[in-house]
Amino acid sequence: MLSIRKLSKTYTGASQRHVLQDLDLELGAGEYVAIMGESGIGKSTLLNLIAGLDTPDSGSISIAGTELSALDDYARTLRRRRDIGFVFQAFHLLPRLSVAQNIALPLYLLGVAREAAAERAHAMLERLRLADRAADLPRTLSSGQMQRVAIGRALIHRPRLVLADEPTGNLDPENAALVLDLLKRELAATNAAALLVTHSHAAAATTQRALALTASGLQPARV
Amino acid sequence: MNRRRFVMLPLGMLTIAQASRNARGAPYPAVVPGRVLRFPEDEGSHPGFRIEWWYATGWLFDDAKRPLGFQITFFRNRAVDTGGNPSRFAPEQLIVAHAALSDPQRGHLLHEQQIARSGFGLADAASGITDARIGNWFLRAGGDTLRASTAGREFSLDLTLRRTQPPLLHGEQGFSRKGPGPESGSYYYTLPHLAVDGSIVTGGKAIRVSGTAWLDHEWSTAPMESQATGWDWIGINLDDGGALMAFRMRAGSGATLWSGATLRHADGRTQTFAPQQVTWTSVRQWRSTRTDATYPVAWRVAVGDLLLELEPLMDDQEQDARGSTGTVYWEGAITARSGDRIVGRGYLELTGYWRAFRL
Amino acid sequence: MAPVALAGYRALVQRALTSCAWQANRGRLLLSVFGVALGVALGVAVHLINGSAINEFTVAARTLSGDANLVVRGPLEGFDENIYPLIARLAGVDVASPALELDIRLPSRRPLHLIAVDAFRALRIQPALFGSEFRQIYALLASDAIVLSHAAAEDLGLREGSRLIAQVGTQSVPLRVIAVLPPEVTAQRVAFADIATAQWRLQRLGLLDRIDIRVAPGADTQDIAAKIAALLPPGVQVSDTDSQSRQAEGMTRAYRVNLNMLALVALFTGSFLVFATQALTILQRRGEIAILRVLGVTRGGVMRILLTESLIIGAVGSALGLVLGFALAWFAVSRFGGDLGAGYFIGMTVHLHQDPAALALYFALGVGAAVAGCVVPAWKAAASDPAPALKAANAIETTASARPHWPGLGLLAATLPLALLPPIHGLPVGGYAAVAVLLAGALWLAPAVAERLLRGLPSPRGAVALIAVQQLRGVNSQLGISISAIVVSFSLMAAMLIMIGSFRGSLEAWLRDILPADAYVRAGGAGQTGFLDAATLRTVAALPAVARIAALRIQEIRLQPGQVPVTLLARDLELANPEALPLLQAGADKLRSNLPPVWISEAAADLYGWSVGSEVNVALGGTNTRYAVAGIWRDYTRQNGTLLIERARYIAATGDTRANDVWVWLAPGHSVETLLEEVNHSLGAAGLVEVRNTASIRKTSLAVFDRTFAVTYLLEAVAVLIGLFGISVGCSSQVLARRAEFGMLRHVGVTRGQIAALLGIEGLLAGAIGITYGLVTGGAISLVLIHVINRQSFHWSMDLHVPVLALVLVSAVLVLAATGTAMASGRRAMTGQPIAAVKEDW
Repeated sequence: MLSIRKLSKTYTGASQRHVLQDLDLELGAGEYVAIMGESGIGKSTLLNLIAGLDTPDSGSISIAGTELSALDDYARTLRRRRDIGFVFQAFHLLPRLSVAQNIALPLYLLGVAREAAAERAHAMLERLRLADRAADLPRTLSSGQMQRVAIGRALIHRPRLVLADEPTGNLDPENAALVLDLLKRELAATNAAALLVTHSHAAAATTQRALALTASGLQPARV
Repeated sequence: MNRRRFVMLPLGMLTIAQASRNARGAPYPAVVPGRVLRFPEDEGSHPGFRIEWWYATGWLFDDAKRPLGFQITFFRNRAVDTGGNPSRFAPEQLIVAHAALSDPQRGHLLHEQQIARSGFGLADAASGITDARIGNWFLRAGGDTLRASTAGREFSLDLTLRRTQPPLLHGEQGFSRKGPGPESGSYYYTLPHLAVDGSIVTGGKAIRVSGTAWLDHEWSTAPMESQATGWDWIGINLDDGGALMAFRMRAGSGATLWSGATLRHADGRTQTFAPQQVTWTSVRQWRSTRTDATYPVAWRVAVGDLLLELEPLMDDQEQDARGSTGTVYWEGAITARSGDRIVGRGYLELTGYWRAFRL
Repeated sequence: MAPVALAGYRALVQRALTSCAWQANRGRLLLSVFGVALGVALGVAVHLINGSAINEFTVAARTLSGDANLVVRGPLEGFDENIYPLIARLAGVDVASPALELDIRLPSRRPLHLIAVDAFRALRIQPALFGSEFRQIYALLASDAIVLSHAAAEDLGLREGSRLIAQVGTQSVPLRVIAVLPPEVTAQRVAFADIATAQWRLQRLGLLDRIDIRVAPGADTQDIAAKIAALLPPGVQVSDTDSQSRQAEGMTRAYRVNLNMLALVALFTGSFLVFATQALTILQRRGEIAILRVLGVTRGGVMRILLTESLIIGAVGSALGLVLGFALAWFAVSRFGGDLGAGYFIGMTVHLHQDPAALALYFALGVGAAVAGCVVPAWKAAASDPAPALKAANAIETTASARPHWPGLGLLAATLPLALLPPIHGLPVGGYAAVAVLLAGALWLAPAVAERLLRGLPSPRGAVALIAVQQLRGVNSQLGISISAIVVSFSLMAAMLIMIGSFRGSLEAWLRDILPADAYVRAGGAGQTGFLDAATLRTVAALPAVARIAALRIQEIRLQPGQVPVTLLARDLELANPEALPLLQAGADKLRSNLPPVWISEAAADLYGWSVGSEVNVALGGTNTRYAVAGIWRDYTRQNGTLLIERARYIAATGDTRANDVWVWLAPGHSVETLLEEVNHSLGAAGLVEVRNTASIRKTSLAVFDRTFAVTYLLEAVAVLIGLFGISVGCSSQVLARRAEFGMLRHVGVTRGQIAALLGIEGLLAGAIGITYGLVTGGAISLVLIHVINRQSFHWSMDLHVPVLALVLVSAVLVLAATGTAMASGRRAMTGQPIAAVKEDW
């Protein structure tokens, strides 16, 4: 599903230079992998490279057999729209759209008919146990609820790959567990592959395997 | 005597006067010897001639016997070619009037003037009788007196001048030659020994005055000789009842170009003098700090056998008329002595000392 | 924390906060500064131009009147010169100086104003004019001599010794330039001549136009004036010299006040721009402000910090505005003249008049506008509770609670009674107040209206459009703020467009009415030396090309002392059916009296309170005749009132058989060209009379009209530009606040183009709402302009002509501009890294 070969990227972080060098990673369909590592080691950069939001210095990334470097920004954007779902630490719901509209946003972008989109969003809300909040604006939700909506938005269009960047970073442990559980369940339901970037061992433990990103590359990590 | 009062007229007017020699307007009458002056008709205006004036000067005394000099002049000038303009404002005649007061306590002249075109009864010089006016200034004859009134900002004069003697004709029975050539000359007579009564207002205060005056009346067309740059003139009422007028025209070098004089003795016998019989000798100079001009203000003048020492009432009797008529000259009251005795009082006029005066 | 330490800390915080705000909002702050600068610049420019023109006029009037205390004036064609000696001889009159004043018509040049005097008298009253060169005074006595002012010599390309050919009647009269005055004597384009020369050469024998009078020291001016008045025939009046410059001021005051109002509108719009900027910036900075409050800065402290910022914006903007205004004024004066092309001060060279007090005032107005714009948002920010603000600091929230509608509705309701107020000192104060109140009400209701409009909009299907509409619905009150500036400026622009459109439309219709003949032969305007005498009129009437003629004499007469004269038109006309009279009210048939009829213009009706049937005293030829008002007509040519009477009656009263114009109806088969040929041939001189057809007169009139309003358009355009800044400010602050949102959208597969479209749609909607609302408000304002302000200022009524095409075009351009502005302001969001955007939000 996701194949990364000899990926290298030099970039300048807040205070020092960082390097991803000759990174390899294989991810099969439905595979759920955690990536851990120190702050600033390049975890988010790796996600951005996979999402096509950033371009590597060398190496290749292919998603479902398509080499990203062969695509321009526009094509990468469309691929992202279709194949990738995102979960952010800060949720990033659109404040002016209702909960249901936020969840249905990827479907709108993909041009799914309004009624069909509403139906699927409703089904998703049911699964997220937020059906009663469908018409509410995000600011009326709790943090945990917001992240659940974000998970719904990440998966509603059945992407091949979900990229979750510290999804529990802003949540208390109880809500974090709830969200991770939900994420895992929904990933399984859609058979999407997923990368979970996290500091949390507890979070990493919910994945199928954990990798540690260090200066020398990705290594299996003990959880 | 036309040379003398030209100084009172602005340069610009003279420019026009020259231009108007080729004018389409009625020609000026010629000034020639042999014309018989008639009185009182000839005391009035002669509007056909280019220029004419009535020029009163004299000594006055207030109640405290303090001496003052005065001058009142009305000029009539037919200088402009109006081209036959039918407008009632057409400047056919210009009337100019000057008034000056010499007060030794003040130390310099007070001076007022008026200029106007004739017309609308506001400014005029009548024919047949002495009657000239501008606004509320006038010089008017009536019976055996003349009345002069000039109301000004600095001072006002209101004087009655009573005739005591018949007119004194100058030159050849009133034809006064002005130069060696026959073309320059004027008709000129004087009323000497006019008995003056009246009042002077200065600073809002009126004082009564009385004294003796001298009135010249002269009209002409011809300009002064081209070499002349100025002149010296006196008109003196002699204490014995006689009267003396003398003048000389000067060249730029200071040399005398022409001179003349008329003396009427106390017994009425009148003598006219040829140029060589009149000599002017400067005795004392006075320099004006205002204009830097130097005037010979004291003289020794010999006319025939008569030798007079002239001394001014005060040195500074300079008239600065640059702001209006464009020239500066000296016109002032003088005493005439013979030996150490005062024999008469009159006026001295000095022109061309500030700048050469040319036509 | 000790107060001292706290104060130091606060300063530090403020510096940090301000510099942060500066970093983040540089563009917007610059726009605010620029908005204030433009407003101040316009105000200053208009003031300087007006001030300079009036100053020049006053100086000129003072130079011309010199030490005169009183002046006697009569009708335009002068009065009997025999009045002059009567006045000159009055006790207490020190100097009476008679003068003729007229415009010399010059072939193919602008007429040259001529003042003809008796210099010997004039120099005693106007030494500045006549005392400088005594020599010239004598030279001026020559019967063909004139002296030119420096400006006149420059303009005409003449110098000492040149010949000047004046047109008198239909003849050429050569005059000789004997001198050119130095420029410091007068800045006017003017000539001087001897009064006798003027009377004779310019065919005004026996007439005077003016007598300047200096009262003797110690005499009572009022007493002398009364004595003089007793000597004067009807129609000739004595007034004090100050009234002359007062008249000039009065004549142009309405025009100047209107220009000033437009400048103030620009400043007002600038103030709204500051308001919009500050309101949005402060909303954005609620988190920072909350932190300050938590750290112990008082509400007053927060207010001070925020107001200091706006003070700086105001000061910088105002300073810039002063410089800009000066430059603008200089440019305008040198380009268009002191009345900006309106034609009030023709023949006058205007120098910029510097007026420190006024400059200071405009500086203060600019700073005041900036501070005023900030007060409400700053107060709101300071008053809000820090805790929730801290929590929701990141999101720009709709804090404005639903405000009641009644104040806005109340303001709107107040418009009508204000509009109905009569003018105060000739100024439409009520009208201005009505516009202000109408605008205020409209602005108050703007958020509510925006909400209504957006609510009525169906939810779009596309994701981008959906987000855009939802966004606008969510930020409703901010939308109100963003569009306030454009509502203000565009409503006024729309109002002006409608007013000018109505004026132009009415003018076109009027021109059709007022020009009934085929051709117009003119030898000279009112007060000019050119005229058609009776013989010439007969010649013209007898030309083969002419079927019939009507002659027109243009006069000015004085109805009341100290008043601006009214125009008197004396025309050959048929009583029952006077041609070319756009009558608003007729009633000749209803007149009971058997007085001769006079038709008066609206201005005359307004200024003198006359109506149909009123009896009017008209002084002509030194006698009063009673006329009855037979109708009121529209006269767009003259503001000070016009009376029309039968020419036969005019001739009977004055003996003046001259005409300025003759209207010609062509004989069948003849053209204006053949008429021109015949006229030139019969007069024996070409170029002395103008022969024009209706079309060309209309073209010229409309060109003059358009030139007059050119400046108005300029002012309006600037105000609208400032309004567009408002939309830009709103958009860019939104974009800044929504960077994280855009970042997320880019993550989930929204293309750059879609984000641009999103912003574009938002801009389009905001613009469309603002402009639609502005259009409606402007329509209402235009009614006040047309029926109240314009009517009361200029005494001209007009019919409503809405320039639909122009309004649609301008609206479309502005909506597009708003869309473009929004898209441009989103560039930053689109070019920035989405990764950074989603990261940097906390």
